[in-house]
Amino acid sequence: MLRLKLSSWSAVWASFLCSFAGMAIAGPITFNSALPLSEGVGILRYQIKVIHQSGDTSALNRDITVIAVPLVLAYGISPRLALFGVLPYVNKRMDITMGAKRIQRSTQGLGDGRFFARYTVYQRDLRGDTLRIAPFLGLKIPTGTHDKSDAFGLLPRPLQPGSGSWDPFAGLAITRQTLDWEFDTAASYQMNTKASGFEFGDEARLDASFQYRVLPRSLANIGVPAFIYTVVESNLSWNGRNSRAGAKDANSGGITWQLTPGLQYVTRRYVLETAVQIPVIQHLNGTALKTDWRWTAGFRWNF
Amino acid sequence: MRKYLHYSIVLLPLLLSPAIAFSAEAINQTAIIRVDGLSCPFCAYGLEKNLKQVPGVESVTIDMSAGKATVALKSGAKVDDALLTEAVKKAGFTARGITRQ
Repeated sequence: MLRLKLSSWSAVWASFLCSFAGMAIAGPITFNSALPLSEGVGILRYQIKVIHQSGDTSALNRDITVIAVPLVLAYGISPRLALFGVLPYVNKRMDITMGAKRIQRSTQGLGDGRFFARYTVYQRDLRGDTLRIAPFLGLKIPTGTHDKSDAFGLLPRPLQPGSGSWDPFAGLAITRQTLDWEFDTAASYQMNTKASGFEFGDEARLDASFQYRVLPRSLANIGVPAFIYTVVESNLSWNGRNSRAGAKDANSGGITWQLTPGLQYVTRRYVLETAVQIPVIQHLNGTALKTDWRWTAGFRWNF
Repeated sequence: MRKYLHYSIVLLPLLLSPAIAFSAEAINQTAIIRVDGLSCPFCAYGLEKNLKQVPGVESVTIDMSAGKATVALKSGAKVDDALLTEAVKKAGFTARGITRQ
């Protein structure tokens, strides 16, 4: 029962993993951009992500908190080709009622890494204005363990730091950026594979982001000033049902749409940003837990 | 007196010519590149870094609103436009034209 209920959490877990693919360059906070990464330039990005879920109406009264610190390294191989690597450290905790007692199950460690390449296939540049289209292709690799146990036995798969599987993903990012505003959209699909008899459902995502410069009001004769952007993002995701030993889990997968207000401080060398993802629609299958909120804060550094 | 005046007319340009030549060389030590596609501060760093790697470049100043990169060259350095255009391309942007001052 407990195992079945927990598997419903995997929709969140899968989309949480996918969001790690967020681009290291300036642009959206929660997904990929097609903005240029100059040849010979590297970018380091630290983020902290916190996800909270509650609202379980069953006797288990589950309450889940995930904290992840993904480290992203990006490098421009050429003006069109950029490589990205993402390695997260995760801490997952679940509070659950067992009998009359409230217990806690938790784990922490290195999560699954993601490596991908992005290639700009279309670029149109005007003064203070650019339009880019860039497909990306990558692989999630099982750098995190998926067989951790606690005093109650083997932890459920969604609570493990890693998935154990090698999962390819691909997508397309489109960016239009002007001096005053930026619009990004990205579509992606991740095909999850089986590991140790368990398979997370596939994931499809459609994201959009609009960033508007609020400061400075004028750019006349001030060289390269720091920008403050207000950000609104939309994150639509679909997760397929998980499979265990070939059987589909009815309490997993579904559709989620989130709106994400945020703020960015962008300079020549670094970016500070924060955003809160607020679920608007959650059509989850079976007894899946719903997400209350997700908070992201990050730092990017150009070198 | 008239004789001296004639000498002055003949010699003055000759005396001033090195200064004129020096001044012209100094003016040519700046290249202004019109860069298209540059629209955020974080991306400007890549342009600056690639331009600074061109041999002979002393410093780079970027004006985002004007879409211009002003490149100061080292004294006596000769930097082809093609090298500067290539550096802009490596940074992921488009150079539309270069003027010398």
